[in-house]
Amino acid sequence: MSKQINVALIGNPNTGKTSVFNALTGLNQKVGNYPGITVEKKEGICKLPRGVKAHIIDLPGTYSLNASSLDENVVIELLLNKNGKDYPDLAVVVSDVENLKRNLLLFTQIKDLEIPTILVINMSDRMAYKGITLDIAYLEKELKTKIALISTRKNKGISELKELLTHYKEISAEPCLNASEIDTSYFNNLRKAFPNQLLYKLWLVITQDVNFGKTDRKTYDAVEDFKTKSKADLKRLQQKETIKRYQFINETLKKGQTIDLKSAKDLRIKLDRILTHKVWGYLIFAVILLTIFQAIYDWSSVPMDFIDSSFAALSEWVKVTLPEGAFTNLLAEGIISGLGGIVIFIPQIAFLFLFISILEESGYMSRVVFLMDRIMRRFGLSGKSVVPLISGTACAIPAIMATRNIESWKERLITILVTPFTTCSARLPVYLIIIALVIPEGRVLGLSYQALTLMLLYLIGFGAAVGSAWILHKIMGQKSKSFFVVEMPNYKLPLLKNVALTVLEKTKAFVFGAGKIILAISIVLWFLASYGPGDNFNNAENIVTEKYASQNLSEDELNQKIESQKLEHSYIGIAGHAIEPAIRPLGYDWKIGIAIVSSFAAREVFVGTLATIYSVGSDEEETIKNRMAGEVNPILGGPLFNFASGISLLLFYAFAMQCMSTLAIVKKETNSWKWPLYQLVIMSGFAYLVALVAYQVLI
Amino acid sequence: MNTIIQNILVYIAVGAAVLFLVKKYVLPMKKKSTKACGGDDGCGCH
Repeated sequence: MSKQINVALIGNPNTGKTSVFNALTGLNQKVGNYPGITVEKKEGICKLPRGVKAHIIDLPGTYSLNASSLDENVVIELLLNKNGKDYPDLAVVVSDVENLKRNLLLFTQIKDLEIPTILVINMSDRMAYKGITLDIAYLEKELKTKIALISTRKNKGISELKELLTHYKEISAEPCLNASEIDTSYFNNLRKAFPNQLLYKLWLVITQDVNFGKTDRKTYDAVEDFKTKSKADLKRLQQKETIKRYQFINETLKKGQTIDLKSAKDLRIKLDRILTHKVWGYLIFAVILLTIFQAIYDWSSVPMDFIDSSFAALSEWVKVTLPEGAFTNLLAEGIISGLGGIVIFIPQIAFLFLFISILEESGYMSRVVFLMDRIMRRFGLSGKSVVPLISGTACAIPAIMATRNIESWKERLITILVTPFTTCSARLPVYLIIIALVIPEGRVLGLSYQALTLMLLYLIGFGAAVGSAWILHKIMGQKSKSFFVVEMPNYKLPLLKNVALTVLEKTKAFVFGAGKIILAISIVLWFLASYGPGDNFNNAENIVTEKYASQNLSEDELNQKIESQKLEHSYIGIAGHAIEPAIRPLGYDWKIGIAIVSSFAAREVFVGTLATIYSVGSDEEETIKNRMAGEVNPILGGPLFNFASGISLLLFYAFAMQCMSTLAIVKKETNSWKWPLYQLVIMSGFAYLVALVAYQVLI
Repeated sequence: MNTIIQNILVYIAVGAAVLFLVKKYVLPMKKKSTKACGGDDGCGCH
């Protein structure tokens, strides 16, 4: 009979915890959120020998069990809640062979919670390079655990780790040091007052500024027999505890680990000197960014053209093959066109995540954070704000969630408020299609104008974020300062498996997350564009035939006129005309207006909407882009998507706060509707103004 | 006959799409944690 055990994967950031998770679970993993909060929860299943299955939870990286952020709270909450469904049968602490001393602090704390714990020492392939040798038997004895020496990079030691997981019942739950020695009488009193509770759990609850389940500090303060200490005394005791742990760790490592510095050959210092240099560092970063944007354009054009023509052919095939009627039209013109407008951008989004993932995996991203801290400080942000701002290029939602590790509330609030300015991947389809329409295809110094425009838009987004942070910094009178601490992991060759899984996971989330909404909106839009009230719509054929009776139009031309009459008097046409006066000064017609309004659900809906609107009654062999390029401005004549209206539209999308989900996450993170409403009004108002000025100047 | 069936299918598809969007944006399902940590109190850390 198969048995399932809960395994919690815990460790400091940058120890390769996620690589261990990927190695154990492969593709049997899913990403979600912890209940009620938006910290990412990764879990997966690992099949072990003898029919045992391990349900593995990859917990957020934490340095200790002394929580200072929401991510760390998640770890502590899970380890303290014995009745929780995810409470681990076994904890696996992942450490990095080069940072054992620091990593073992967390290990010793988890051991004190009396959870059976395995110590995984990762990156063992670097031991020879760094001159490190370990006495595993001695370490296992002193740390009262089993050790798996592994290298996820070289795929070594994983089967041994699985073997240890299979024998989880043999893993010791005994603490490896006696932390209560720091104040024996206090801990004795604590033990007497709460005889049924685990001592170290009590200590964690008393010393943390957070509540865990129904057991919080106030509960303990209220017990008569027990007198707790002042906050200052507790802090001092916590410091004593940390010192005691490090004394134990130092003692253990003195005998269990040897480092021969002579045999260590390190490139890291030399690389750091260049990559974090105050001139070369920024220059290299700019070159890397430029390469990414160039690659997004050049490399993905082949698969994109293929997808574009495939969807056009599929739509045509459906129309020809299925019986004529409303549902066939919905399939061909609504569903397939709408989905085609999203699938076409998969190659570019995959490339973007591929590069972001490589930069993170290689250890370079931490250098960027360090580098940018010098600039960020001047704008009231911290170096840690760079992570949300760069993550914002993927999606504002995880980026806003990533602000949780910023300790200062004001720095965090400013980062939350300005992050939606950075160019998220949902804007990418909008930018790409508009750029392709209005920016010429020429090159300067081997770089295409279109790639440069895209990079400029990213810089505008980043500039708007930093500029508005500076204004908020001045308005909010931020006085509090926080210290900037960032870990510089070693440089590593990115692991192909990790990069591939990240690209797969993010692209899947983009396509399926947005895809369902886009599909639903495409169906509704098609309906609104294909049905309408009154004679002008229902008698369109008679009205148009009568109107053009004297002009001898061909059948195709007449059909086009009928479709145009129908679209204009359809439900969507009526709504578009209603908002047209407000958007006309920006160079947009009612069709673009509808696309802008519907893209409030998700920005990428813009392209799907236009695809749906334009393919109604159009020649199906034409692609979305060609159809848009052929649109004529009904008032001024000439192409509707010209340089002025295109730039106006690009700037509108660069600044507008459009995404419902982002507003929802800001509400959640700030616990107030005030801030998302400010964002909505100020950002969208500013976007309208900039787009108006741009169009009026360029026309 | 074909026209009637096609129209029924269209109305079913449109109805399902509207229902999905209403559920997603107008009546979002609220799942509240019963635990103190993880609720809207932000674990009391701010």
